[in-house]
Parts: sequence; C-alpha cells; structure tokens
Amino acid sequence: MKKNNMVAMILAGGRGSRLFDLTKTVAKPAVHFGGKYRIIDFPLSNCANSNIETVGVLLQYESVLLGSYASNSQIWGLDMNDGGVFSLSPREKDEANLSVYKGTADAITQNIDFLDNAEPEYVLILSGDHIYKMDYDKMLKAHIEAGADATIAVMEVPMKEASRFGIMNCDKNDVIVEFEEKPKQPKSNLASMGIYIFSYKTLRQYLKEDDKKADSNHDFGKDIIPAYLNAGLKLQAYRFKGYWKDVGTIDSLWEANMDLLDHSEDLNLNDPSWKIYTKDTLSSPQLIGPNAVVDDAYITQGCKVDGEVHHSVLFTDSVVGEGAKVYDSVIMNNVKVGKGAKLYRCLVAEDVKIPEGVTLGKKDSKEILLVTKKVVNEVK
Amino acid sequence: MTKVLGIVNIEPSYVKVEGIEDYRPISASSFMGRYRVIDFVLSNFTNSGIYNVEVQVKNRPRSTIEHIKNTDYNINTKRGKIRVLYGEKPVLNEVYNTDVASLTANLEFIEETDAAYVILAPSHFVYTMDYQELLDAHIASGNDITMLYQNVTTANEDFLKCDALEIDENGKVTNMYVNQGKVKRAKISLETYVMSKKTFIDLIYAAKSISALYSFSDALRDTFEDFKVGAYLHSGYAACISSLNAYYKASMEIKEAKQLDKMFADKWPIYTATNDTCPTVYKKGAKVENSIVGNGCQIEGTVINCVVGRNVVVKEGAVIKDSILMPDVLINKNVKMTKTVVDRLAIVTHVKELNGTDEQPLYVKRGDRI
Repeated sequence: MKKNNMVAMILAGGRGSRLFDLTKTVAKPAVHFGGKYRIIDFPLSNCANSNIETVGVLLQYESVLLGSYASNSQIWGLDMNDGGVFSLSPREKDEANLSVYKGTADAITQNIDFLDNAEPEYVLILSGDHIYKMDYDKMLKAHIEAGADATIAVMEVPMKEASRFGIMNCDKNDVIVEFEEKPKQPKSNLASMGIYIFSYKTLRQYLKEDDKKADSNHDFGKDIIPAYLNAGLKLQAYRFKGYWKDVGTIDSLWEANMDLLDHSEDLNLNDPSWKIYTKDTLSSPQLIGPNAVVDDAYITQGCKVDGEVHHSVLFTDSVVGEGAKVYDSVIMNNVKVGKGAKLYRCLVAEDVKIPEGVTLGKKDSKEILLVTKKVVNEVK
Repeated sequence: MTKVLGIVNIEPSYVKVEGIEDYRPISASSFMGRYRVIDFVLSNFTNSGIYNVEVQVKNRPRSTIEHIKNTDYNINTKRGKIRVLYGEKPVLNEVYNTDVASLTANLEFIEETDAAYVILAPSHFVYTMDYQELLDAHIASGNDITMLYQNVTTANEDFLKCDALEIDENGKVTNMYVNQGKVKRAKISLETYVMSKKTFIDLIYAAKSISALYSFSDALRDTFEDFKVGAYLHSGYAACISSLNAYYKASMEIKEAKQLDKMFADKWPIYTATNDTCPTVYKKGAKVENSIVGNGCQIEGTVINCVVGRNVVVKEGAVIKDSILMPDVLINKNVKMTKTVVDRLAIVTHVKELNGTDEQPLYVKRGDRI
C-alpha cells in the first residue's frame, strides 16, 4: 500500500513523575505494560498499522534507553526504505545552542528541519503514554474530507470528569469553536485525546510565529490551538470510540493492566488485524507448575508459576514461587515472588524480589501499593 | 578464530514422523510451544560463534525457509550468513534423495567458503552444545574426523535406527552399527561430525563414487580403517525426533522444570521467530497444571501435563491431559483428550473423547475439523 504522506511525531519526553519509582531511571513511554509491551509500543504499532512510514520520537527525560529502543524500527515493521523511527533529542545546532524542549510545540519547532526533509503533507502529533488502538489513516481521511487545518481526536467522557480534561466545544458539525483546558464548568464532554493532525504548511508557519513569542508556553494546547482558533482556521473534532487510557498514575497503570482481564472486549490485544508489536525476548515459554493455580490471569513468556495467581497480570520472566498467592496485582518484569508470599492489590516494580512468606498490600485497600526494592527492604 | 562452516543436514531416511511430516520436515515443525526443532541446531551454531551456516533442505522446504528468514539468530549478517540450500535436481525415487546428493548439488557453496573446518549437524536432533569445545577437542586430538556421541541407557526404547558407535580404549571409533533397540546401553552418534573442509569434500566424492544411494554416514563407516576417527562425549540432554513417539516423548521430557532450565539457559539462548502474539489469558475457572504454554492462548478449560503452542483456545469444560497442542488449535467445549498430538489449525468439536495410548499417542492432522 502506498504511504499516506503523513509523518507522526510522538511526544515522549516527559518524566511521568506521578509514576514515582517506575520512572526513576526510564521515561514514562518506556515503562512496561500488559505483560510483554512497553507503553510506546501502542502509538508505534498504531502508526505501523495505519500506513505511516516515518515516525519521529521526541525525547528528553532519560532519552537513552527509550531512544535506542524506539530506533529498532523493524520491531514495528517501520523499517521501509524511505521511512523509519527516528530518535529526536534536543541537539546543538549551527544557529542555536543546545536547549531543552520548552514545550510540546517547541519540541516540534526544534525539529522543523527533520520534517522539512521528510516533506510531509500532514503531521500527526501523538503522546507516547496512552494505551489505545486507533487507525490514524481513518482520522486523516476525515481531516481531508472536512478540509480542516487541524483535526483533534476527542472522546466522550462522563460529564462529572470533564473538568480533568482539555474540553472541545463544537458546533453541530463537530467543528471546534472553543477549547478550554480543564474547565471548572465544562460546556461539553468531548475531551481532547492529545492526538492532532495538522496540515504541515500551516502548522510550520504557526510554529515559527509561536517560537518568536517571548510569553508563549510553546505548547499545543495552550498556544497553538488557541492561535488557530483566533485566526479563524478550521479545527475539526474527530470522535473516537473505543478504549483509551492515560496511564499517568500508579492507579491508572494498574487499572489499564487489569482491563486486559476485565474489559478484554474493549482492549483486545489478540486481534490479528491490529497487532501491537514489541521487542521479542529470548525467554522460554511460560511454565505453569504442578502446584499452580492460574485463575483469571494474564501471563506471558518466560514466566514460571508454581503458586496461585488470581485476577493478576504477570510480565515477562516473572516467577511466582510455590505456595505464594497473588491477588489483584500487576507483577512487572523479572520479579520473583518468594515461596508463600502473599500480595494483594500491588503493582510490583521490575526486578523486585519479594521475600518468602511476607504479605504486602491489603485486600480492600482503596489505593494500589507500589512495591519497590525500598518497600521490600522495609518489610524484611 | 578458526574459520568453520556449519552445515545443517537433511534428515536421514529412518526419520518418519507419522502425520506431522506430511506437511513439513520435522525440523520445521513446532516444538515446545514457541520453537521449531531446527532452532536448536542453528542456535548451537551461532551461540558457538559459527556465523556461516548452510541449511540443506529437501521436500516441502517452504516452512523452513520462511522460519529462517523470520528469525534473528543473533549473528552479524554482514560478516556471516545463514543460507538455505536446496538439492534442486528432481529425483525420481525418494531413495536417491540422500544427504550426499544434496551436498553434491551444493558443493560449490561449500568449496567457495574460506572455512578450514566443517561441522555437519543434524536438523532432527534436539540438544545444546558448544561446538567450539568440540572443534578444540578435534584439533587437539589430531583426529581426521571427530564424531559427537551420547552414552544412552535406554537405547532399547530411544534413538531407534540411529547410528551407534564402538569405541576402543584409545577413543578411536572402530565400528558403527544401527541401533535396533535390542540392548539398553549404547553409544549413540548424535550425527554431528567435525573435520577439515578437505576431508569433508573428499568423503562426499568417495560416497558418490561408491553408490548413488550412499549417505554421509555410510561414507563415514568406510573410514574407520584408513582415517583416525575419534569420538567426543556429549553429556547433556539429547533427543532424536525420528517418530511421533519420539516427538511426544522429547516434548514431555523437556517440559519438566529441571530440564527446561537446562535447555533454555540464559547463557545459551534458543532463537526463534516472533509472531507478535499477546500474552495468554487464563480465564476464571481455568485449571492448568504442569504445562508449558505459548503466548496468545485463551484457556478456559483444564490443561494438565501438556505442551500448548501459540494461539491455542481451550474452551470451558474441555479436559486435556498429557497432550501436545500445536499453534492455532481450537478445542471446543467439553472435549476430553489424553495422549494426543493435535497439529496446527485443527479444530476439535464433535469428538468428545480422544485417547492415545502409552505405546502410541494419537495424532490429529493439520487443519482437521473433527
């Protein structure tokens, strides 16, 4: 299939400090998810499945691991001759000193040369930290049909939660007339998903202008979209129906993992027509031992289970020892749950060794317990 | 480093894996949930630092070619390569389809390499081995040829029709005979040989000149008087997948946790192709024990003591015991099954009971609906 002349730019520079120790040494988009994936596999796989061939990944916080991971274009099939996944960290230039990305828009502005080289007609702006499956090609078709200057993906959220989002107020044709960031009294429940398609020529001009403004935050939501609205450009809302989750907190990350068990009809990763790709590991197949109980569990290769796993997700190479009991928990990569240990409503960070016999978390706690090496050392 | 050419041999005529081989050679068939049998020998080569490997193929090579193309065996592909070589000449009768015929057809690709040594290894054996160790021992011994072997105490049941060696007190191979399963103890050849490239090519010519039906192992048998042929002991696990029984038995043996850790050690990875399947879901009420399971499965029923491949679905009420389910198999509600090998894409619905025996597991054909 011929490529669609759209370049994707994934904003992946954020630290994600509300994930605490999980992002102490890795950027949020590189955090593991759903047994075998990293969060960034979702937008990257969506790009590959949507007929996009060139993807720029905007990096800043802990850029090395994420950048080297994303550069393996072949993982997602994005290694065609004139395409690829490109790691774009802030860099020193002939005409400018090294400067961090000052905002989401500035990250793109600093890479205008990259976009110019790719000569796209359209630019797709994505976040590197959302879990969803979406066909951006369909969204592009809608963008072209509407004759829009920009198209913003939106989804309906419950009205009482609308004040947590960027809300789009639209006319009857879903043309955006007003944008309100986290409004106290929301007028609509159409929340921005942080997914934008811009016609590149216009975007380029607005980015250049924004770059000159000293008082700008250089942010898409705060500056570029309002500038478009002020100028009377056409901003179209694109309604998305389906699973979408921002996994910015421990609770929401835990919940999104649990959705693989509880809402598998919404977040089905087993659809051969829309696979989520990830780097394969050399792990052996999963071994379910003679004493194991696996009841409502999502388990991937390399896992060895000889204890009980109830309503939980196990990530690559994790081990649940004999007699251990794991309830309502997310066990990340290479975690060893010692014999007889009990876990309730935990999210266990990678490489943590849970000592034999300990109990962590509570059956009916409101919040999810993040189990790190530090937490384990305290209970020892 | 000494330059070595690795050659993966085609399977000899005694290999007859009922059913499975109707669709692809046993080397290309699914094994242990996510691998192909051939992954073991290829990983042995590349883990041993041997980056030039030629894979001989004969009948129905599609599966092998596709699999090798899709697998990253962890080599520098600019400095080395894995080549698939087809015998090309059509043969009127399968008995002419020997490894010597295949090697002869591709002789120029063996001659053109700058390797000083050749290691010929079989595609239907499963074992892990550092071939560098074998090569070092070969060079130190001053042998013309060194053969890899295993001390077997169950030769009456396992490794049937395989070559067995007689070795004298100086470690020299004096005789080779076919294991007819009459005795328990035998020194079984793992059909893995190391020699100089010159000796290797000489042997191919010699075999060809004697008989069009001669295999490489026949040619070796003629060398014991004139050549210095030594033997090197392999002491880990080894299995020869020469029949459905052997396939079943090896799968069940490797499945045990102890053996699994040895066969899939961190230091000796077994490379295979990814299918980008998501993790496996064990639904509420599923009961799974003592089993190896590939990714992408949906298990609602009971699975005990099984090897389950990728993307297998086991519906509610089904009870599968002591069986092997290859990738993409669907087992519908309430099916009961023991000691059965279900080939890829098969769907089992209406037969409520399938039972193999200790002597012979049952086989369900690829893509069958029963």
